[in-house]
Amino acid sequence: MNILGISAHYHDSAAALVVDGMPAAAVQQERLSRHKHDAGFPLEAIEWCLDHAGLSPADLDAVVFYERSMLKLERILMCSLRAFPRSWRSFPHAIRNSLGEKVWVRGIIASYLGVPRRKILFTGHHASHAAAAFFTAPTCRAAILTADGVGEWATLTVGRGERGTGGASLSLTREIRFPHSLGMLYSTFTAYLGFPVNDGEYKVMGLAAYGRPTLCDAVRKVIRRTADGGFALVPEYFEYQTSASRSFSPAFVDLFGPPRHPYDPIDLETDDGRRYADCAASVQRVLEDTLLDITRELRRETGLPDLCFGGGVALNGVANARLLAESGFERVFVPPAPGDAGCAVGAALYADRIYFKNPDREVPDHPFMGPGVDADELARVARDDGQRVEALDEPALLDRVADDLASGRIVGWMDGATEFGPRALGHRSILAAPHTVDIRDRLNRDIKSREAFRPFAPVVRAEDAERYFELPPGGLRLARFMSGVFPVRAEWRSKLAAVTHVDGTARVQALDRDMAPRLYALLGVYGRRSGIPVLLNTSFNVAGEPIVNRAIEGYSTYRRCGIDTLVAGPTLVTKPVVPQPRSMKEAYA
Amino acid sequence: MATAARTARIDRVLRPVHRWVWRDGGRRVRKLLAFAEVETDGGRDILRAAEVTPDPLLRRLYLAHAIDELHHGVLFRERGAELLRTRTEPASTLFNGNPLPGGHGLDDVSIEGEADARLLAFLHVAEKAAAGRFAVYRELVADDPRTRAIFDEILHDEVFHMNYTYTQLARISPRTYRSQVWLARASRVWHRVLRLAAALGALMGAAFLTLLYFVLLPPFAWLARRAATREPGGWAPISARAEAPPTSQY
Repeated sequence: MNILGISAHYHDSAAALVVDGMPAAAVQQERLSRHKHDAGFPLEAIEWCLDHAGLSPADLDAVVFYERSMLKLERILMCSLRAFPRSWRSFPHAIRNSLGEKVWVRGIIASYLGVPRRKILFTGHHASHAAAAFFTAPTCRAAILTADGVGEWATLTVGRGERGTGGASLSLTREIRFPHSLGMLYSTFTAYLGFPVNDGEYKVMGLAAYGRPTLCDAVRKVIRRTADGGFALVPEYFEYQTSASRSFSPAFVDLFGPPRHPYDPIDLETDDGRRYADCAASVQRVLEDTLLDITRELRRETGLPDLCFGGGVALNGVANARLLAESGFERVFVPPAPGDAGCAVGAALYADRIYFKNPDREVPDHPFMGPGVDADELARVARDDGQRVEALDEPALLDRVADDLASGRIVGWMDGATEFGPRALGHRSILAAPHTVDIRDRLNRDIKSREAFRPFAPVVRAEDAERYFELPPGGLRLARFMSGVFPVRAEWRSKLAAVTHVDGTARVQALDRDMAPRLYALLGVYGRRSGIPVLLNTSFNVAGEPIVNRAIEGYSTYRRCGIDTLVAGPTLVTKPVVPQPRSMKEAYA
Repeated sequence: MATAARTARIDRVLRPVHRWVWRDGGRRVRKLLAFAEVETDGGRDILRAAEVTPDPLLRRLYLAHAIDELHHGVLFRERGAELLRTRTEPASTLFNGNPLPGGHGLDDVSIEGEADARLLAFLHVAEKAAAGRFAVYRELVADDPRTRAIFDEILHDEVFHMNYTYTQLARISPRTYRSQVWLARASRVWHRVLRLAAALGALMGAAFLTLLYFVLLPPFAWLARRAATREPGGWAPISARAEAPPTSQY
């Protein structure tokens, strides 16, 4: 049975193909269109998935959209009505936005793919998140938690899943409904702190480590706990339900002070800079505490040792680590793409296991489901441009890259199929030695062009992880997809300065040999060179761009930033030592 | 080949408007920050062109061009942010200066699947128009040497951009390069007409929806608010609706 899953029209569109119960291909539209967070209909992603599996649209048994779009329209209309007349500005925008494309999704899919309308199915938004988290996790029974900004009406759900030879079941039992949303609370602070919503939440988490949670009481004024163990946002502090352009109200500003302008730098030496950091630390703490209460209750309720956690909030690695340590769950599974893109996989798996009641199957426990990299393409374009190109056998290449890394060079690393999800987990990565702050500053300045307060992540072989990082029981699993933030052991912090955040933590990736064998081997070679088998691993992109996909995109990134060495398959490219004698600009001036 | 920017007639006519925009500190900041976005977006599009062209020489030239555009974006952003920090007068919210054309984002052309000749012609025309406009802006910020220096640097780069696009267009389309340029000019005008029509359509649509909002919605709003009062915060059991048939969008 061939089932195509689609997520689209909000942010991070994606397509995923499930063939006979196994995810065969999945890719985010942004990787192909090259527009970060591309929300458009993911036609290129769909075409790639079908081509990859050698299928045509006629071969599809079902196409599953990741949410019920009319239910979402109902929520948008209802919120406008409830906010009458304050919603008069946002109403035309919301209606145009919804009626323009989103509610016609069945027709759009039918016309683009030429599939009969009866084959087009829908799942609930949070059911898709839940399926993406549960059906991809190596567990048979688990409690399920999903949390994000908003789907149709739900913003947070809990339930449980079971799978085995008798089939699979997934039931979400209760929910918190819009406008009460942990995701929206965090996004409101993201906007307040001057970062773009749905993109800058990482920055809030990074900034939180510089602050003290001194404003928790103020944050708890805007999110009150309910008697039943849930929560509710206090509407007077928020405007996202009535405004298309602003998510916090004047009362919110009265409570927390003036918001940061997006173009103002964050200077932690100033009062304002410290206030921003304290705001970030406080909302982070309240988010963690709220999630912790909910998961403790869920643990008591289900009695299950495993938790599968999906939705955009599951990208918060600091919160995930606390859930693992304090909720009572022994293992916490967060998929590599817990956000909306991952819903493409979730929707397809939900349809396969629940709608069609197909037998359950173990799915691959890795995120590498996208297009591959063509080393020959890289060699050809690099030679055309006068770059130094070498084709090396595997041991020589690993030796050479390890030497480069040990001597402080920065390496663009492309290997096999691209990752599905927001994190580079070893197939489209920028690698560097993790030992000094100089390399961190160089990466921030010359390559990533990002705020100095944002940390970089380390990658380490799974069997070495506990030597360098304080992982609680279950921590290795959470670190598999870089989903948890854990302390760097005190004795190694000075030697892992580039990847140790200001609070002594790191968002570590613990790598198994089976998951990315080449990077695993490189870590071994580098460890023998430097004595520490840990590398800095950051996504292979520059600010504002999606992670590279094809070799040519890696190459163009390498050409215009401070990456010293570029690797794809056996091809290794370095910049020429002697610069071109006459620049092209002079020739055309 | 072009050697210097020549101001277009439309920009000479609009000079008083340009002067009004640049005279105000708030509008100046917003204009610079808007340019930063436009230049960065344009740079990314040209970068994409470098990645998809099969022509090695064009790839190198597009790449150099893209690096320039991305650098211009940084210059505008840094200067805008700097002025923002030092600004003393309150922000003017009447008009942010953005509707005035400026820069040369590539929203008129799609990169994927586009022939190099059409793209080069488009870039040549867009660069020429932008250079003319930037020359006007450069004069209007005479009181602000640092902003003026940015326009100086960009105008220097624009000469390269105008020249290479024209030379390469003549190389790859020796028979039709002149007509390609005219076609690109006509296309720009047509797309402006379309944009204007779309903007007018959006305005009319918004006016109509606003009218509907105030005329039609009040009774439903009253009902919706009544329903809302019956919905406490906190947990809600998942309703049977969540178990809707797979083919249902509801």
